[in-house]
Amino acid sequence: MSVWQDFNRGIVSENPVLRLMIGLCPTLAVSTSAVNALGMAAATSFVLIFSNLVVALIRKIVPDQIRIPIFIIVISTFVTIIDYVMQAYTPDLHRALGVFIPLIVVNCIILGRAEAFAYKNPVLASTLDGIGMSLGFTLALLTIGVIRELLGAGAIFGVSLYNPAVAATIMVLPPGAFITIGFLMALLNKWENKVQ
Amino acid sequence: MAKNLKMAVVLAVFCIVSAGLLAYVYNLTQPLIVKNAKGSFDLSLKGLIAADSFKQEKNTFVAIKGKEIVGYAFAVKPQGYGGPVEMLVGLDKEGRVLAVKVLGHKETAGLGSNIEDQKFLKQFVGKTSKDKVEPKQDIDALTGATISTRAVCHGVREAMDQCGKITK
Repeated sequence: MSVWQDFNRGIVSENPVLRLMIGLCPTLAVSTSAVNALGMAAATSFVLIFSNLVVALIRKIVPDQIRIPIFIIVISTFVTIIDYVMQAYTPDLHRALGVFIPLIVVNCIILGRAEAFAYKNPVLASTLDGIGMSLGFTLALLTIGVIRELLGAGAIFGVSLYNPAVAATIMVLPPGAFITIGFLMALLNKWENKVQ
Repeated sequence: MAKNLKMAVVLAVFCIVSAGLLAYVYNLTQPLIVKNAKGSFDLSLKGLIAADSFKQEKNTFVAIKGKEIVGYAFAVKPQGYGGPVEMLVGLDKEGRVLAVKVLGHKETAGLGSNIEDQKFLKQFVGKTSKDKVEPKQDIDALTGATISTRAVCHGVREAMDQCGKITK
């Protein structure tokens, strides 16, 4: 298992959203536009990378029985930090993402990677795993966000492309998220079957 | 026993470090957060009524230009579809609506969220307490968002009622 694989794994072959099907709650809720998707992805990536790093650092001193509470403390500390920082520096984005920033605490990608990977692997591999998983999450979220904004609001990154009156409003509503994710997963499966 | 003690100590140390770190970040960001919230609210008030200053009394903001009262702004929170709709309603001293602004809401994206649209909010300008201010009567309801439309109407009504009590 090389270092490159630790990094690469999260992007396609074990993409958290489209492959492992975890972290779907924030994905469904905030991928209504490309900007929201990027903001959420950035906040989650920050928490994921640093929690992986810290968990890998402390794994030798943490008794096995209390590892989960410790993970939660580490994760929630980083979530609260990013919550404050976004409130202070990007208040508009923070308002748009609303309750989903504090809810990063319960995003299963983060606890999942801490338990399944960072707790058993050294710092470098864990950090790379965090970065790879973050990239995979970002790519998935951004793709979904762009598709939903384009079809549902007639815009990309807030730049209007056609009259929103003819856009399919359902795409920015929750069903639109399920439809988009379904098609993306099908495409990814087809593509991977072909490669193999 | 020693094992249990070790667990407690480790957990306590992590909690203390975390609390310390959070206190530091909190102190660093809090002034900015407060400034942001106040700044955006003041800006909304100024966009509502052309005035030099506002005197706040509970949810009422008395707009003063020179030494005269030129109007009133009311912060109201009517119940919408997804939660309260926070809005500001500005009226002149005769009780005519000058402008309506939606500050925050949890309405459905793409449907109820259109209550922020200027085209929709412009309908309320010039209304007085003699008008009905009701969807499908003198206000065009938003497509697929009857409840959100009604909430904004209620908010405007409430502001008019409060204004009527003050100016009487």
